Amino acid sequence: MIEVRGVSFSYDGAAAVREVNATIGRQQLVALTGPNGSGKSTLLKMLARVLAPASGVIAFEGRDIGAWAPKEYAKRVAYMPQDADPAFPMRAIDVVVSGRAPFLGRFEWESDSDYEAASRALATCDASDLADRYLDEMSGGERKRIFLARVLAAEPKLILLDEPLASLDLLHVQQVSALLREIVTRTEATVVYATHDLNWAAAYCDRMLVMQNGALAFDAPPAELMRPDVVRRLFGFDARVVGGWIVPGV
Amino acid sequence: MIRAIVVLVVILLIAIIAAATFGTATVSWRGVLAGDVTARTVMLDIRLPRVLLAALVGAALAAAGVSFQSLLRNSLADPFILGVSGGAACGAAIVTALGLARLPGVVSVVAFVGAIVATAAVIVLARRREYIDPTRLLLSGLVLNALFTAIILIAYALAPESDLTMALRWMMGTLFGATWSDVLVLLGFVIVTFAVLVAIAGDLRMLAFGEDDAKSRGVDVERIKLIGFGAASIVTGAAVAVSGIIGFVGLLVPHLIRLIWRRDFRALLPLSALGGAILLVLADLASRVALPSGELPIGAFTAILGVPFFLSLLRRGR
Repeated sequence: MIEVRGVSFSYDGAAAVREVNATIGRQQLVALTGPNGSGKSTLLKMLARVLAPASGVIAFEGRDIGAWAPKEYAKRVAYMPQDADPAFPMRAIDVVVSGRAPFLGRFEWESDSDYEAASRALATCDASDLADRYLDEMSGGERKRIFLARVLAAEPKLILLDEPLASLDLLHVQQVSALLREIVTRTEATVVYATHDLNWAAAYCDRMLVMQNGALAFDAPPAELMRPDVVRRLFGFDARVVGGWIVPGV
Repeated sequence: MIRAIVVLVVILLIAIIAAATFGTATVSWRGVLAGDVTARTVMLDIRLPRVLLAALVGAALAAAGVSFQSLLRNSLADPFILGVSGGAACGAAIVTALGLARLPGVVSVVAFVGAIVATAAVIVLARRREYIDPTRLLLSGLVLNALFTAIILIAYALAPESDLTMALRWMMGTLFGATWSDVLVLLGFVIVTFAVLVAIAGDLRMLAFGEDDAKSRGVDVERIKLIGFGAASIVTGAAVAVSGIIGFVGLLVPHLIRLIWRRDFRALLPLSALGGAILLVLADLASRVALPSGELPIGAFTAILGVPFFLSLLRRGR
């Protein structure tokens, strides 16, 4: 579905992503992990067309993403940045329905069918009861579900999430992880999400990509990553595997 | 939204009629209809253009405030903080220092040019490569304001003493001496700006979620920033040119509307424009009738009328 070939990017001369190659197919849950500053966010932003690669090519459905009309691309690929809190107070339903924006003409307002799509997205995220609440009165976990619903409202084929599990408590990490799995199953979309949490990622995803200093250092199913030698090489600490989970120590 | 707009339009019409009816001269609509020359002059050539100009200035400043606040994702942004009004005031002060303030129209034109130059300067300062950084934009505006204030002080120190009263009145904001041609010119600016802002309202709404998010949803972020900033600055310049410096409207009105109406961001633009018009018509009326003779600065009344209302809403809300 999306193909990354020799893609690099640098900020003010400092390389952030170097020569990344990867191909991601349909209906997959892909975790993108690696240390801070390893280039996860930058790679996601390039996939989302927020940044243009300095070199290399990204092709979506066989076509260079730069050649897609921005709105046509946005109908198929939805992106959730790390912080998308609106600058002004908004109701959840208005936040979610704004995810339909790529489908609207310049002077067009959302129709009933857009609100139906928004309601379906809220239901998928188990957040129907939050529809009329204001975002600034919600907990972090509730807000996260609203933003996931906003992404789903466009009914995209590819969903890119930057740190959807960050700053959530354990219960919500589990709930959102399970929700991502369910989104892939129910909507047949592919979800690529950046995360720091190896264990939760391994428990739910089909495939793990690990970035290191801007390069793609590992690309395989989670079972292959969950080995002491691989963890040592990629993350630099000694670990054991207990019941399929990585734990520190030898 | 339609209901809220209708309510505000009705309030605005009542305010306009009241403001045209009351004033220091005792004339009546009956006199106008009866063909009384004094009544006709006072009502139709002095009061009515002034009241309508107040409405237009209020609408312009409030709409500009909405645009600046959403572009910068900052509810404190307004034409004054960003240096747009400061640039206009600076131009007017220089003209006064040169002794040219008495030539008709000169202050207005130069104030307009000053606003545009200030906007361009702020954008250039805040722009790195192709990107306008909102924080740098606010900071550049603040710093330029300090420079403008310095120039204004020097210009007034050098200005002919006989022109100082007029200059001071302009700095405090006044709609004294409004003409029908002022009304028509500003009406043109307000209509065009409003059309432009309505056309980009959907994009401004998406910008509230951040620039990366908006970009990923197909919004041409840098272009929208230039259009929104340019349109808001031009209409601010046009408003300041005819009214002098009237503070607070661009900041206060969009906040007020947001406290009352939080449903859809795109409704903010028409509702704020109407709210700004109502506030300024009432403030102008108050500034004219507060003293038995003479006038008080209208800017003082926008604050006196607006602040208690604002604070009560703020306390009642969450």
